[in-house]
Amino acid sequence: MDYDVIVIGGGLVGVSIAWGLSRCGQRVAILDEGDLANRAARANFGLVWSSSKGLGNAAYSRWSRTSAAKWHQLAAELKSETGIDTGFVQSGGFSIRLTPMELERGIASMAKLAGQPGMEAEGTPPLEYEILDQAETRRRLPLVGETVAGAIYSPLDGHANPLRLFAGFHKALKQRGVHYFPHRKTTAIRHRAGAFEVAGEGWRLGGGKVVLAAGIGNTGLAPMVGLSVPLSPSRGQIIVTERLRPFLSHATGYLRQTDEGCVLIGESKEATIDHQRPRGPITAVLAERALRTFPLLRDARAVRTWAAFRVVTPDGYPIYEQSERFPGAFAFACHSGVTLAANHALVLPRQISARALSEDLSVFHSRRFHVPAAA
Amino acid sequence: MIQDLQSAADLAPAYDLVVVGAGPAGLSAAIEASTHGLAVLLADENESPGGQIYRSVERASDADLTRMGPDYAAGRRLIERFRGADLSYARRATVWSVGPADEETGDGTHALAVGISFGGIARPIAAHRVILATGALERPFPFPGWTMPGVMAAGAAQILMKSSGLVPSGRTILAGTGPLLYLLASQLLRAGVSVTAVIDTTPVENWRLALPHLLGFSASSYALKGLKLLLEVHRRTHVIRGVTAIEAVGSEQFSALLVRRGNKSLHIEGDLLLLHQGIAPNLNLTLAAGCDYVWDERLAAFRPAVDGRGASSVPAVSIAGDAAGIVGAVASARQGELAGLSAALDLNRIGHGVYEQRRAQHAQKLARALRGRTFIEHRFRPGKTFRVPEDDGTIICRCEEITAGKLREVAALGVPGPNQMKAFTRCGMGPCQGRLCGLTAVELLAQFRGVPPGEVGYYRLRPPIKPVTLGELAALPHTEAAILAVAGFVERAHDGAQDATHGRNQ
Repeated sequence: MDYDVIVIGGGLVGVSIAWGLSRCGQRVAILDEGDLANRAARANFGLVWSSSKGLGNAAYSRWSRTSAAKWHQLAAELKSETGIDTGFVQSGGFSIRLTPMELERGIASMAKLAGQPGMEAEGTPPLEYEILDQAETRRRLPLVGETVAGAIYSPLDGHANPLRLFAGFHKALKQRGVHYFPHRKTTAIRHRAGAFEVAGEGWRLGGGKVVLAAGIGNTGLAPMVGLSVPLSPSRGQIIVTERLRPFLSHATGYLRQTDEGCVLIGESKEATIDHQRPRGPITAVLAERALRTFPLLRDARAVRTWAAFRVVTPDGYPIYEQSERFPGAFAFACHSGVTLAANHALVLPRQISARALSEDLSVFHSRRFHVPAAA
Repeated sequence: MIQDLQSAADLAPAYDLVVVGAGPAGLSAAIEASTHGLAVLLADENESPGGQIYRSVERASDADLTRMGPDYAAGRRLIERFRGADLSYARRATVWSVGPADEETGDGTHALAVGISFGGIARPIAAHRVILATGALERPFPFPGWTMPGVMAAGAAQILMKSSGLVPSGRTILAGTGPLLYLLASQLLRAGVSVTAVIDTTPVENWRLALPHLLGFSASSYALKGLKLLLEVHRRTHVIRGVTAIEAVGSEQFSALLVRRGNKSLHIEGDLLLLHQGIAPNLNLTLAAGCDYVWDERLAAFRPAVDGRGASSVPAVSIAGDAAGIVGAVASARQGELAGLSAALDLNRIGHGVYEQRRAQHAQKLARALRGRTFIEHRFRPGKTFRVPEDDGTIICRCEEITAGKLREVAALGVPGPNQMKAFTRCGMGPCQGRLCGLTAVELLAQFRGVPPGEVGYYRLRPPIKPVTLGELAALPHTEAAILAVAGFVERAHDGAQDATHGRNQ
């Protein structure tokens, strides 16, 4: 057996888990595809955001809030290991609402979310938020446009630099001696005598455990080890501007200024994975809403747009599961790889090492999708 | 007569053919296609037609023409023909995206959509065909000190000369390789500039590789012109050949060039250093359009994959001239004609008989114009150490100030390609979108991994390939589906809202 754990997928979910496993003393290998793989880790928006998540699933709200709370530790440890600053800021986030109707809907949805049973738990920061009317929004964010109707503010939210986070994990893994194998697309996983053999074109690797963290690729890999990762098509699109003088230190739900000065504007949701070409009409609507939010951006120059596919399950909540037929095989699929990076790096690896996912995560098993069709 | 469009309002919503670039290839493509009755829009970033080679040639005085040489003056005839053609011309216009028509806003008949920014207004334009004639870029020339004030690209100096008649006033040093280096030297000398030295970095072993192609070259039009040029430059300034390394020094401003020839060192003082080590296809628009590309070892550059008519891998998109591979002005014009002619055939404006006849004529002229290129490519191929600096402190990405050392550090992490390297370092993320660093970064990574650059690949390019303001983007057409995709619901004054059909709850 070559490794204790083989992680399939070198994106953000894969590397955060691999780093955590290495901290647990496991011998880890990461298998990755090539440069142009579907890679959400290079396309994401960079929010560390929990306040509005989990409507319909209190466990997801708690899971997101605990991860956001653990981000300080993650950022500090990565910095001390690699010198790379992930740019994490948790100064509170604004969910800006452009029209009265948007504000009304936001308020209703937050009330519903907060009123769900099971929102509070020991060790989880309580859900805190404020509703800001037009005047208060302008007081706190003086540069917002005159027509902005209001905002929902939560001190739990923030943002980070997802590319430096990604680079930081890779650098730390290299220093820790974790083996990273790019250009190795997994085509088969076999179970033999309690261990796993992962193979592709012209190579194979043995491991005691296997973690599927291949994003959209998980759908195809999961059945090889008795797991299931159903996903829904979802494409998002982002605009990025040239570097601008700092004007916004808080994250907002769809617009943020990075610590390098660029402004990111996202994000759209289209139920398709047809192609990754940015679409004109989406670009137009994103830009128009950004200008209503911060009119001073009118002359800011966009240098790039991109579209990428999200890893989203049919109900929007993540999948965390271990195979019952082949214990030691795990599959994970989630959309919020940045927010959840702290849990993936600091919480999940202990459970994988111990070959037992915690009871809290049972709600994220894919069996929730296996509803027998009505007769 | 061309229609010289004044503002975005003059743009039609659709054209048979949109040509991007008004150099020899673009002008010839547009003229040829319009001759066959196609509705053509030629969009170009510059003030006047001509591209880099014929920049401002219409306004040039007799003295300018003598100084710049007969190849420059030849542009006048082409531009005259262009002025007489029946087509639309948008100057100072930027085409920032080309791609298949949008699935929602496309009209169902035009295969392509072109994003253009003209007079501060962005517009989508539909087209049956697009010919990209975006020319070439100067190859990056990274060595210690190349980014300091007082060091500049030879091409930039040439732009100043052609468009404003400006010439350097101080002691000028030229360094690099390639015919254009000597052309510029002669142009500067004729303009009375004090050219202290020409530092030739052409690898000595290039002769051996070029020699087998000497015969073809000596029969070409390049041979005599080249020889005259060399003699002129040698007679009038100090030429140092066989240079193996250079370094620009100065405190905040260039003051001297350190030159190494084998184990000998030289120190040459000067006020301005002009650099040139050849040109490479300008790929940004073709790659953003999704065209396949290949590594061309002879050019030491990527070029788009095109067939004999210039057709790219993206249906209805063709590429002509230096944008498809470095061929020079005359061959570029022929390729442009071929591409324009093919567009006319594809859109049924001419029959196969006419097409074949004209194609044969153009192809013959093209073959003649390409004679001698192989020799030139081998002879002036820049050396490896000038393409990828050994010194880790040398800046590779000027926009983001990323050094070779930083890139090597990240290459050691096992990055699968230049896009991951870019994500880890920001190399290539600035406003130039990799134009100034792409080749260097890719070759560095290829060298590090010991594989050919073609295996490493290039940056994935996305629109806008040139910066466009958010104000312009915001004014592009909106659709209900797009609003739904972004805002989650569409507000209507009378009947409330329509919600998105899929979950937004995570």
